[in-house]
Amino acid sequence: MLRTLRAFAWLRWRMLINSLEKTGARDTFERFSIAIEKLGPIMAAVLMVPSALILAAAATASGLALARGDQHSLFFEAARYLLFIVPIVSIFGPLLLPAADRTNPVRMLLLPIPRSTLYVAQSSSAFGDIWVLLMLPIVLFVPVGLLVGASFVAAFLSFAAGVLLVLVIVGLTALATSVLHLLVRDRRRGELLALLFIVIIPAASMLPGLLNGLRHAPGAEQRSSAISNVPEWVKDTGVRALAMYPPEVYARSTRSAASGDLMTAGAGLVALLAAALIVHGMGMAAFAKVLASPGSTGARRAVPTRAAWGRTLPGLSSGASAVALAQLRLALRTPRGRSIVLSPVVVTGIFAFVARNQLANFDSGPFSFSTGLSIAGFASFVGLLAVLPVAMNQFAIDNAGLTLALLSPLSDREYLAGKAVGNGLIAALPISLSLVVALLLLPSGSPALWLAIPLALLSTYFLVAPAAAILSALFPRVVDLNSIGRGSNAHGLAALLGMISFVVSALPAVLITFASSAWLHNTSLVPVLLLLWCIVSYGIGRVLFIPARRIFARRRENLAMLL
Amino acid sequence: MSSVATVESPAMQGDFAVQTSGLTRTFGNFRAVDGIDLAVPSGSFYGFLGPNGAGKSTTIKCLTGLLRPTAGTMRILGVDPAVDSVAVKRRIGVVPEDLALFDRLTAEETLNFVAQVHGIDPATAKQRSADLLDLMDLKSAGTTLVTDFSHGMRKKLSLAAALLPAPKLLFLDEPFEGIDAVASRQIKDLLLSFVARGGTIFLTSHILEIVERLSTHIGVIAHGKLVAQGRIDHLRSGADSGKTLEELFIDLVGGEAKSHALDWI
Repeated sequence: MLRTLRAFAWLRWRMLINSLEKTGARDTFERFSIAIEKLGPIMAAVLMVPSALILAAAATASGLALARGDQHSLFFEAARYLLFIVPIVSIFGPLLLPAADRTNPVRMLLLPIPRSTLYVAQSSSAFGDIWVLLMLPIVLFVPVGLLVGASFVAAFLSFAAGVLLVLVIVGLTALATSVLHLLVRDRRRGELLALLFIVIIPAASMLPGLLNGLRHAPGAEQRSSAISNVPEWVKDTGVRALAMYPPEVYARSTRSAASGDLMTAGAGLVALLAAALIVHGMGMAAFAKVLASPGSTGARRAVPTRAAWGRTLPGLSSGASAVALAQLRLALRTPRGRSIVLSPVVVTGIFAFVARNQLANFDSGPFSFSTGLSIAGFASFVGLLAVLPVAMNQFAIDNAGLTLALLSPLSDREYLAGKAVGNGLIAALPISLSLVVALLLLPSGSPALWLAIPLALLSTYFLVAPAAAILSALFPRVVDLNSIGRGSNAHGLAALLGMISFVVSALPAVLITFASSAWLHNTSLVPVLLLLWCIVSYGIGRVLFIPARRIFARRRENLAMLL
Repeated sequence: MSSVATVESPAMQGDFAVQTSGLTRTFGNFRAVDGIDLAVPSGSFYGFLGPNGAGKSTTIKCLTGLLRPTAGTMRILGVDPAVDSVAVKRRIGVVPEDLALFDRLTAEETLNFVAQVHGIDPATAKQRSADLLDLMDLKSAGTTLVTDFSHGMRKKLSLAAALLPAPKLLFLDEPFEGIDAVASRQIKDLLLSFVARGGTIFLTSHILEIVERLSTHIGVIAHGKLVAQGRIDHLRSGADSGKTLEELFIDLVGGEAKSHALDWI
């Protein structure tokens, strides 16, 4: 088994080194682009070292404090809270990693390796996960602190508890990975899961604001008393369940060992051992299921969309229209694309709720938070921003389809126009939906300002579109839009510069709006000025597309060779 | 290029669907294609052969406009792609190495996309799509996303997409790889009838039996250089008469059996 594990460790090491060494770049620019891509993980690895050192020092200090009788030292409490979140991250973490980052276990069945060894190899890959790497200094250096404080038995028990906790976390990661394999093996089920996750994340990030809003909303007092009326047995069950949570068991065991309560410490060790056995038992069962189940069970799609899609978009050539619609379909049929369409609606809904409850009295001039204008403005901003990951990598996201486009009799002008319109359509879906909902629910506010919103958006997009084409041609990145993590993001530099270009492009429209409404106190002037700016920005955009086409023509070959 | 065993034929003195002169493509210091002079007669079935890494796919990529040649000139159907690549692409169909398909379009939508970029009217496109999907046995999978297709199905769809605009010249990079025997037979018949109607096919394949059976002309490339070109029967005549294409190919590319080196197997 050791020989096999050593081979797996070597395999991972070689893959890491090869990914850094062999760039496959065809020119200096591509080398630069790849180097920038590699910089992120290298920076993260470099930052890991001081983080690990700080955690080790804090853990040693907490161990020392425990040895000196301080059961609730700040360091130990901080370590306890850090460990508290590790199991949660280890369950959801595998979902965020690109599929390619984890070895496909079924492929390994071809090798003469027992399944139990394969399970150990897969589980041990969790030691490369950042959350495991960060918990290791804690569980290793608390015993060191106890040793320094001359609590030798406590140090041994704490070390044993730490090892068992790590085993539990590794088992949880292995179990989550196997369950994820089983779920995403069915393409459509996997996509649904990914989509849920993408939409849930922004919603969850808004939750604190939402809850805060609820506290200030009418009827908050009644809700608060309702929460306090929860039966005692429910509260007791919650407390008991929390006491069984592995990081809490570890903390209790270590504390008890330091205070000389060896029975409680020993009971903690037994509980952690039981947890590790249960988790690994479940992990092995799930892993066996992964190995035994078929490769893919993707379902068939039978949506007769031909009649609707066969049309040519007005103002575009047949070819450009085909490119635009293909781009829109891509967005509607991948988890990442769907998230671009859905998440602005979710985020805007939450913002609307918070704005109504918390910001209603905030003076924001004509864009009062009590009207739908602020919500519509926010929705427009979020909707256009959400499309950037696709717009800033608009060519490479097609994968093999890019070759089909490059082999087609499309001029560069047609192709770029199709892409620009396609990205615009993707952004238009959530923006229009949010605007209509905001207008229907909260129609008050100046009609001139309502009209100003789409004009401001258009003027911004006219300037962003050529920038997106340039950045996509310069920094293409092969992505998997089924991935919900880093695997579906645009190139880091393209994303950064894209964001800057977005801000710069939106600035004139924002300035025009505020200059005429807040300073000149003439809101009816806003749409007129923005219409003029729209025309000017359209002209600027057309001019900017000339260098965009030149850059695209020069980078055609790099794009064609991307796969 | 004097070392190239080119056998002239009456057909080769006429017009050429593909003609290159000193076509070269380098990647850094590596010369993937090294000054080749292709002459593919119009109406011929041209088999382009070579060992792995010889430069076949790079040549096709240059001819179809995916790669820019480092040196040399090309004329595809009488047009220089460097001058008007769109005009060339309107008249050719390509089944490339990576099959070039959008994985999130259905088979019907893929063909619809190709029809639209070629400016084919919807009624004609619909009729041709139905015919091609039927021929390729993909009719029942018309509304399935390409991502759910097997490799063979993708290959057939890619071929259907290449045929849809009714091109004059087809570039096929390993079209029979991963295709079942029945479909393979149908596709061979289709390609032969395409040539019989005046179309030209430029095909690369590692299956020499297929090339031998289908091709009227062959070109052999090794280490980026064209080592032989001409009518298949002419290349086999004279001292090489009676040789199979496989034997001729191995002679030309300088391969030798190395099985003695693996005595331990």
